[in-house]
Amino acid sequence: MKPAISAFRWIARTLIIVLLVILGSTVLVRFAPGYLSDAREMDSRYAVAARSELSAEAARSRSLPQMLLAEIKDPIRGEFGTSRQFAVPVSELIEPRLAVSGLLLARGIGLAWMIALCAALLSSAGRNPSMLRQAPATLLLAIPTAALATFCLLADCGGPVLVMALLLAARDFKFLDRALRAAWLEPHVLQARAQGVRTGRLLAAHILPSLAPQLGALASLSIVTSLSALVPVEVLFNVPGVGSLAWNAALNRDLPVLLAVMIVMALAVTCSGMATPYAAEWKQA
Amino acid sequence: MKLRRPILWLLLGLVVAASVILSMPGASSTRQDREATLAAASANHPAGTDALGRDRLARVAAAFLLSLAGAMVASALTTAAAAGVGTLAAFGRPSMGWGLMVVCDVFLALPWMFLLMMVRSALPLTTSPARSAAITFLVLAALGWPASARAVYRGAMQLRTSDWMLYARAAGLNSAGIVRHVIPNLLHLLLPQFLISIPAFVMAEANLGALGLGVGEPLSSWGGMLFELNNSPMLAETRWVYFPVILLVVVLLLLEGVAAEA
Amino acid sequence: MNLACRILVCLAVLSPIVPTAICSAQQAPRLPGELAWTLGYDPKTFDPAKVDDEESETVRYLTAGVLLRFNRLTQKVEPELAQSWTISPDGKTLTFTLRSGLQFSDGSSLTARDVAWSLRRVLSPATAAPVAEEFVSPAGVTVDTPNDTTVVVHLPKRVIAIDKVFDEIAIEPAGRPSEARVTSGPFVVADYRRSLYVRLRRNPHFTGKDASGAALPWASGVRLDILENTEQEIRLLERGGYDLIDSLPPDYFELLRKRAPALVRDLGPSLNTEQMWFNQAPSSPLPAWEKAWFQNRAFRVAVSQAIHRSDLARIAYLGHATPAYSFISPANALWYNRGLSAPHTDVAAAKAGLAAAGFRLQGSVLTDAAGHPVKFSILTNSGNAAREKMATLIQQDLAALGMQITVVTLDFPALIERLMHTEDYEACLLGIENVDPEPNAMMNIWLSSSPNHQWNPSEKTPATSWEAEIDQLMNRQAASAVNAERKKDMDRVQQIVAEEEPFIYLVYPNALVAVSPKLQGVQPAVLEPRLTWNVEQLRMQGAR
Repeated sequence: MKPAISAFRWIARTLIIVLLVILGSTVLVRFAPGYLSDAREMDSRYAVAARSELSAEAARSRSLPQMLLAEIKDPIRGEFGTSRQFAVPVSELIEPRLAVSGLLLARGIGLAWMIALCAALLSSAGRNPSMLRQAPATLLLAIPTAALATFCLLADCGGPVLVMALLLAARDFKFLDRALRAAWLEPHVLQARAQGVRTGRLLAAHILPSLAPQLGALASLSIVTSLSALVPVEVLFNVPGVGSLAWNAALNRDLPVLLAVMIVMALAVTCSGMATPYAAEWKQA
Repeated sequence: MKLRRPILWLLLGLVVAASVILSMPGASSTRQDREATLAAASANHPAGTDALGRDRLARVAAAFLLSLAGAMVASALTTAAAAGVGTLAAFGRPSMGWGLMVVCDVFLALPWMFLLMMVRSALPLTTSPARSAAITFLVLAALGWPASARAVYRGAMQLRTSDWMLYARAAGLNSAGIVRHVIPNLLHLLLPQFLISIPAFVMAEANLGALGLGVGEPLSSWGGMLFELNNSPMLAETRWVYFPVILLVVVLLLLEGVAAEA
Repeated sequence: MNLACRILVCLAVLSPIVPTAICSAQQAPRLPGELAWTLGYDPKTFDPAKVDDEESETVRYLTAGVLLRFNRLTQKVEPELAQSWTISPDGKTLTFTLRSGLQFSDGSSLTARDVAWSLRRVLSPATAAPVAEEFVSPAGVTVDTPNDTTVVVHLPKRVIAIDKVFDEIAIEPAGRPSEARVTSGPFVVADYRRSLYVRLRRNPHFTGKDASGAALPWASGVRLDILENTEQEIRLLERGGYDLIDSLPPDYFELLRKRAPALVRDLGPSLNTEQMWFNQAPSSPLPAWEKAWFQNRAFRVAVSQAIHRSDLARIAYLGHATPAYSFISPANALWYNRGLSAPHTDVAAAKAGLAAAGFRLQGSVLTDAAGHPVKFSILTNSGNAAREKMATLIQQDLAALGMQITVVTLDFPALIERLMHTEDYEACLLGIENVDPEPNAMMNIWLSSSPNHQWNPSEKTPATSWEAEIDQLMNRQAASAVNAERKKDMDRVQQIVAEEEPFIYLVYPNALVAVSPKLQGVQPAVLEPRLTWNVEQLRMQGAR
């Protein structure tokens, strides 16, 4: 019974978030400057065609409540409308890209965690934190994503997975280094080390369990960071994923595509918070 | 403690050095020396000049005082907001915690780029570059807290159920006391977040230049100078293009040193 | 756990995965004899009648069979599917005689019936074809086919340079529009992978033949990658992944020139212009005193005189641009006014002009007669490094007059909204891409009633006498068949514009291209498409 209630609460929470994201995104996109403009208006060859398309859109989006209602009803029916830019169903645009982005995220996050854990393992060897050991991660944080992409192109080595992994690893390392050093110096661990408990058992039985909640928090932060890094990485490396579709849709004010992407983002963000069950927290007084 | 003082003096020294560079007679971070664009280091221009003939050293000094200060203030504000929201969600009523985390998740998924366009659209076009920079950093601070608020919430929930907190609350610890004890125990989440946010905000400010916000010309933007690294023609042109990123790394490591000693 | 132990653990964990992560992505392999270059974004449509954006136009150019082709190098109209054509003396009747033995790419015959169907489809209001606007009143145009090889087009009134319009009308099989899968042009759309590439393959029934009688096109196909990243594009060009780049930014041009000088070519001034203008619309939400400044000729001329155009060309374009004073570039040899007299850089004259117009310099701040400090913004689009540099250079130039300028970069839709809808801007710096040297292509900019009359759109009546004169001259040259008279009118329009400065022209950017030395048959032209206008003649070295 309890798991069923938890599942129901999680589904309800997710639906509320998706609804609020649809409403918020529609208002933001509709009222941001440029929704009813098109660069082709400046080109005399295409100006007439562009203006007639814009008038049609203006008529459709004149009433905000009607527009909001339409944008909510469509996803419920499983339809995501037609792309303003490409005049094809949005689902046709998004479906092939989900796999591409999903794979990029999975590989990037996986590699990032490997690199960050290894770097934290090496860096926390010293008793005191060392600025020198922090330098590589700090350097990665200080270099813009586009510059990392340019360096990869110049070195003819590396691609979107490596750049995403390095971006995430640099951030994750900052947290892991502190957490690992603190865990290694906890009183019960110090006592166990003094008593000669083997390293493997120390890690498995004491260090990792005490780190687990922090790792959960860090995992959720990591996933959120990777979702926001997805757009620049895909755009820079021309990866045909959800991130580059979203960027293109934002530049062209393609509301149907943006809404579909925002729904996917909302689901991903909500799922990344599954590390800690909210139902249990609700019950705690 | 032993390194903290020298590190703080070093940081202060950098601030003083930047101010001295800018106050020297003839120094200007905005004047274009059009006969000496992308010039090599010389007596007049110790770090060479940029693509418009402006002194690189003066521009880095000005950006250090403007962009970095702005980014640090914005990072501090956003970290404080994350700490506040996360702690409130964990220690307040369960319904408030639930509601705040829903707000965080919605915040993370919304396309804030469009809000930033609306902010630009609401400002007069003749808003001064410095004012535009200040508004940009404030907006970044207002948008940057949800991701770490969730992590702080989880950390605070752990503390809430720890034995010592249960004893303290049973002994009658009030809200102010809770905050006084919880925040120091969350520093392992808050300090890295603060340090990571500084370069992120520096670059976000430069990205916002594409939307009409950010530090406007002719003021120098640190993010704008970092963005020269994106451009392989610029990388091929001069080694001085690495100067801003090296200085940023040095400053961040010094701040890291201060935070480590905390 | 000591440091050595930790290092071993890290190596064990990372060594299997890092090598795959550092492998760079591979490009799709090329088919033998295939040419390759890039499109900036996905074409919106492959239907040649509905083309309304640049990349769709590129695909149409490569696949469409047309009656007449506008040769971009000689700038003359040449027969293509039509072996000859005549225009009646009153300019209202065009008669095309088709070549014999024409076929579509699927082997079916191409006759006058297909031509008539294609023309009628383009002219039909239901299709809403942008090219129909070129006929001025498309509803009144009729098409007859007296026999299988003759097509007669009747226009309600003369249209100057109407023959050039047939360069944009694709001849498709009657009743079977196929979105470029069945064409009469050199190539056919074979495959389209959204966001990845468009693949064209040779049309085996294309009628074109080269000088020695060999069948064209030479290339077996064309792969157009969807890529908008100059760094990747030039890297792939150097490695042989691409054969050409149609347009390079000046800094990348210089980088390539230093690394591989054989790849790059500066074709000299293009037809394009970069200009700045002030918002003179009376209906704009600007304060009255700002409108007064911008509507004051002396103010605009002073701004023009204070700008150092040679610095803009030298610094923002690294020398690959020419100072501009007119909307017609010297590359447009037929229409450029060589005797133009325009105010050149003269800061002293600018200051004197402002003083005479009632402006006063108080310290380093210029104020108008009512004491308002002269402060305004220059808007430009983000993402164009040369334009952003020009705006910053102009900011310093105008500071010498005491004007305080803020530079604001916006993304295109937000910028267009201000320019075309809300009119909420002070000054704007943008460029115009002129694909057609013919002055009639610029009517929309110069007619005061047009929504594209940028500084004061959609005027009900001309706001000034000089705008009325421009209207009269443009309409007169559009109705005239005598080129010498048209040239006189256009020279006069250029002179008026140089005197009144509604647009302050800054530079003509040069046409900068890159071509692989292995690509043969290239004859670069300043008109778009610069390198592929004769795509059927292009081939890779050693192919066939």
